[in-house]
Amino acid sequence: MTGTFGAVTPGRWAMIAVAVALAAVFPLVYHDPYYMTIIVTGEIVLILNISWNFVLGMAGVWNFGQLAIYALGAYSSGWLMLHHSGVPVPLAILFGGLFSGVVSVLLAFPTLRLFGIYTSLLTFSFAQVIQYVAVNNPHGLTGGSFGFPEVPGLFPDLGQTAYLRAYYWVCAGVIIASCFAVAWLRQSHLGIALRSVRDAPAYTAARGVNPRAARVAAFGLSGFLAGIAGGLYLSFEQSFTTSQMGLTPMSLDVTMLVIGGLGTVSGPLIGTALLTVIQTKLINYPGWQLTVLGATLLVIVVFVPGGIVGLFGRIDRRVRGWVAEDADEAEPAPG
Amino acid sequence: MTAALAVRGLVAGYDRSVVIDGLDLEVGDGATAVVIGPNGHGKTTLLRAVSGLIKPFRGEVELAGERIDGLAAEAIARKGIVHVMQGDGLFVEMTVEENLLMGAFPGGSWRGRRAALKRVYSELPAVEERKAHKARTLSGGERRLVGLGRGMMRPGRLLLIDEPSLGLAPVAIDAVYAVIRRLRSEASSAVVLIEENFTHVGGVADVVHILEAGRIVRSGPYAELAADRTVVETYLGSIAEVPS
Amino acid sequence: MTDAVAILANGVVYGSIYGLVAIGMTLIYGTLRILDMSQGSMVMVGGYVGWWALATHGVNAVLALVAAFVFTFALGTATELVSVQPLIARRNEVDFELVTFITTFAVAIFLTNVALQHFGPFQQNVPTIVSGNLKLYHGVSISYHELTMAVISVVLMIGLGLFLARTRWGLAVRAVAQDLDAARSLAVPVTRLYPLTMGLASALAGVGGVFLGALYFASPTAGDLPLLFALIVVVLGGLGSLTGTLYAAYLVGMTQSFCEVEIGTTWTLPILYGAILAILVFRPYGLKGSPSEARL
Repeated sequence: MTGTFGAVTPGRWAMIAVAVALAAVFPLVYHDPYYMTIIVTGEIVLILNISWNFVLGMAGVWNFGQLAIYALGAYSSGWLMLHHSGVPVPLAILFGGLFSGVVSVLLAFPTLRLFGIYTSLLTFSFAQVIQYVAVNNPHGLTGGSFGFPEVPGLFPDLGQTAYLRAYYWVCAGVIIASCFAVAWLRQSHLGIALRSVRDAPAYTAARGVNPRAARVAAFGLSGFLAGIAGGLYLSFEQSFTTSQMGLTPMSLDVTMLVIGGLGTVSGPLIGTALLTVIQTKLINYPGWQLTVLGATLLVIVVFVPGGIVGLFGRIDRRVRGWVAEDADEAEPAPG
Repeated sequence: MTAALAVRGLVAGYDRSVVIDGLDLEVGDGATAVVIGPNGHGKTTLLRAVSGLIKPFRGEVELAGERIDGLAAEAIARKGIVHVMQGDGLFVEMTVEENLLMGAFPGGSWRGRRAALKRVYSELPAVEERKAHKARTLSGGERRLVGLGRGMMRPGRLLLIDEPSLGLAPVAIDAVYAVIRRLRSEASSAVVLIEENFTHVGGVADVVHILEAGRIVRSGPYAELAADRTVVETYLGSIAEVPS
Repeated sequence: MTDAVAILANGVVYGSIYGLVAIGMTLIYGTLRILDMSQGSMVMVGGYVGWWALATHGVNAVLALVAAFVFTFALGTATELVSVQPLIARRNEVDFELVTFITTFAVAIFLTNVALQHFGPFQQNVPTIVSGNLKLYHGVSISYHELTMAVISVVLMIGLGLFLARTRWGLAVRAVAQDLDAARSLAVPVTRLYPLTMGLASALAGVGGVFLGALYFASPTAGDLPLLFALIVVVLGGLGSLTGTLYAAYLVGMTQSFCEVEIGTTWTLPILYGAILAILVFRPYGLKGSPSEARL
């Protein structure tokens, strides 16, 4: 599969190159501002999902506080944009990422002592507190439930088409960079440590891998990327409301990850793209949007463990198995 | 006449590791078979496969002529297998009496369960004394007696007892075996009892089977096997000598 | 003094209802190792059943409560069959706690949005079960509705306790919670026990929903806040500990009541979640919980 970096075949490299090139020229031929806005928003969600997938899927830590980290990235970068207008916007977004990364590291420490469901409760509680503080702060920084005041954004001087195109490319750049980073991290020392912590904690400790350091590092990296996504969202939408970290976007993001395939590199890409399309199709039937979402999530988790990526992986293996069997019919089929 | 228990070509284990490897065993109606073997050679796995707590990979298990392999543990238990588990399997946060009542879970009336409880108490006065205590507060010997008492709460066709002497002081072991002997003489059910060595099973065993590396390697009357120096030395003289 | 009486009275009322909703979650966690995120939806559904029975059909209160109990019992059973049962066979292959957390969460999303489709986003007024107020002390009073709610909640919790302590199936539920293999080898049919347990827990929440519906409204999101409170209660009590849950429920009820009188309603949840954060940092298994597996 998309697995390790070193094992990527030349054919797959070519496919990746073609996909990147197609993605790059896409906004030059497609201009519809309505759908471009949806696509850019989808890209930002994808960045968030990639960051979440890193702790949730790869490190196997049940972190349900990611949307609060994401919001903190938006708020902290927005604070710079609003109150320190001398700071260039890209630097403000970077600052948002760093701030979120630091908070995420701080969140990682208490989870070190917890197991399973308690981790999710602690991180969920953290998110609830952040959300309530933000909602109950209407005159302060967050603007309460009315949302963050308007900020300059990355490209204040561009017209609509160019504006959307520029954001599209920026986000695409972040996505491609983070996908490569994640793919590389997966087979790095850290990635191996994380996976072995997830799958066999006792074994890892016995082998001398420091599971705590690995987990804290994972939280830091993931928080950084989530904060970048938050800053991008704020600067693109020119606003950020507290509902962005509510239960509805959280369920949407979890569903995207689960449908795509938790813990894989391409899973967030596939899940986010698929659900963005479905949600957009259902936009005129708002009630159905989430009903379908809930049902899909349930069916995928119960019947397609590993998500779409896992499913294709299994189909792929099975096809290879048939091919192999056909190749040496003289041999009895393996039991 | 069909045997109470017939096991043919049983292969069982955990995940992908095979522990029981092609085992055959037959236990006659009302007979007591003692399976002896060193640790880690599949004694407990055998019982768990028979009672359905693990699903056998291959092979057949028949209870009084009826195939039961592949059934769920709860269904097998309803057919009349009573499994006194290793480590007793008591519900530690429940009282002794509640534990005993759970032994009579399937079917029966409230009145029937009360009667069974009374019968067990008269057999095991030591258990009755502790009936209001939580199982976690009992000593090892008391726990074992409660485990046996729970097994006596309903009529079974086949009683599986897993290492009743494990971890007990000699006095407690004597008490436990006294109960097992009584149980055996009174109840009509067949018994499969597992032990690590010959020490305690003298007055209990009709037949002794030696289990090694997942198979029965010798069978015979107790007197014959216990007197056979080769058996005792080859299989049970020292655990360290046994190839694993 | 009036403050103290008001805090105490409201605290007991809130505590009772939170206990009722949370004890179901504890029961489910204890037996199935599942944090049932659909429990809030059962409160919501109970509210709608109460509204349907009391406001649109004018049936009497007892019947409405029974209807809510039966309907949410069925719904909880169905939830288990759909979102948990298929996963039990794969218990060792999947991260069971995380996966069921997600599936029950999915059921909650689904139910909330079915309600939104069917009833719209409006808040429906649910009539109170009994009218009138009980004067307690210098202008402090609680309504008979709240009093009934507290009493019935307590009665139901005692009923649950007796069920678990005295009946054959109640003992079986506890047995499964403590040693699954031993329970199965004693012929306890776990495949039937699990849906029944989840149905029972859901039914308690459903009854709570009728009361809460009258106190607030019936609406598609009516279950969100009770779920958040119940989560606080079960964590505080130590997942899977029934007595711990009861203590925690009244502690949370008192805290909420105190915040409302002395600080301001909006601060209740942040304060409670702040407390949870602190407790989980210092006592990773809740106030009364222990790392041991077997409880109930």
